[in-house]
Amino acid sequence: MSRKGVGLAAFDRSRITSAQYASHGSSLRTSDAAALETQLAVFRSLLQQFAQTHAKDIRSNPSFRAQFARMCAAIGVDPLAASSTREGGGSIWAQLLGRSVNDFYFELAVKVVEVCGATRGENGGLIEVRKVREAIMKSRMEGAPDVTEDDILRAVGTLKPLGSSYSVIKVGSKPYIRSVPKELNTDQSAVLEAVQVLGYVSVSMLMVNLKWTRPRAQTAVDDLLGEGMLWVDKQCPEWEYWSPGFMLSGSDAVPQG
Amino acid sequence: MSREPFPFPWEYSFPPFFTRQTNLTTHHAQLVKWSSLILSYCRHHRLFKLSLSPSSTSSSTTTGPPSSVDNPQPSPGADELFYNRRLDKRLSIADIKETIDFMRKDGRAEYVGGAGGDVVWIYWRTPEEWATMIEEWVDGTGQKGTVLTLYELTEGDGTRGAEFHGLDPELLQKALGVLVKRGKAQIFGQEDSQGVKFF
Repeated sequence: MSRKGVGLAAFDRSRITSAQYASHGSSLRTSDAAALETQLAVFRSLLQQFAQTHAKDIRSNPSFRAQFARMCAAIGVDPLAASSTREGGGSIWAQLLGRSVNDFYFELAVKVVEVCGATRGENGGLIEVRKVREAIMKSRMEGAPDVTEDDILRAVGTLKPLGSSYSVIKVGSKPYIRSVPKELNTDQSAVLEAVQVLGYVSVSMLMVNLKWTRPRAQTAVDDLLGEGMLWVDKQCPEWEYWSPGFMLSGSDAVPQG
Repeated sequence: MSREPFPFPWEYSFPPFFTRQTNLTTHHAQLVKWSSLILSYCRHHRLFKLSLSPSSTSSSTTTGPPSSVDNPQPSPGADELFYNRRLDKRLSIADIKETIDFMRKDGRAEYVGGAGGDVVWIYWRTPEEWATMIEEWVDGTGQKGTVLTLYELTEGDGTRGAEFHGLDPELLQKALGVLVKRGKAQIFGQEDSQGVKFF
């Protein structure tokens, strides 16, 4: 097959072959893309049908809204992202449901930013999602639609295009909103996780439970103290380091598991 | 005067709240929370002055005689405010003074008789605000040009229901002083029988 070319013609032939490969490749790609586009169109129309049938539920029922959003996420569609602007208008939510749902999340995002900003001094820019929700619920008017933690997480997601430093991180099993550009190392996360149990830790507690050396435990809490994410109580036999999110909900609140 | 117990905010049961925080931002947040707690506490109990050092009785003009030592309910004042019995945590006198200094910058506190004293004015309303309130009351009741005794102003039946009813006499002097400066009032008379005329 591959006869060794002699002379200048060999160069021409190889050029032709690679051109043919390229054209075949691109035709494959376009057919793939066309197929995908049809699938997407079918899917979109189905999604549209679904959303229209259940528009009222999506708007009023927070758990239904969460399920719908989860479904969209599972199949790789971000209903809030303005991905379909080419078709001339806003996100899928905005198109299908009118502006209200979209605005719902944007308004919520503004509230989240407000809460994070107002509490940053006391918690160093790390706040439990549950606390954010409590703060928002407290400030809402009577009869306003319920807000779930899921809604808040989604609202934080809408802030992403702004290039802001708002992100959701997990400490232990609980989601936190971080509103400062700061990474936690594993030791710091471990401390914050330990704090969730009682609301506070001490260096010796860390040493016993995590089998850390004293310098390691001390460094981790000092770092978090330096970030303003923990408060120190010196009026006890051994200094205790408290999480400021603890007991936000009321003076007589007990830690919730 | 029996009032409902002051609803302490959540941070009052947060043990580190009573320890000066080392992080600057955290400390600032702590100062803000303490000063708003002090203001709302004093407003709730209508305390105009606060005596800072522990174990002295509050120098409020509206509270009754100092309660006995074994009274489980401490009389409102610095003793209760800066010492959380349930947690057994206390804000140190140095930290209290730092908070007071922080409040002085906002015009929300002032040492009685100059800095370094032990008793502090807590201005949940500043003298200027009291002055405005008195002026509005005089306006609203059509008493411009009339002469009132200072006693009438704060203790008389005429002002019952007005917020400045029961105002500390010294603070009243300060407020009236503001009105005098504004050219809205004139004070005359002797020590204990002073009168004021409003224009």
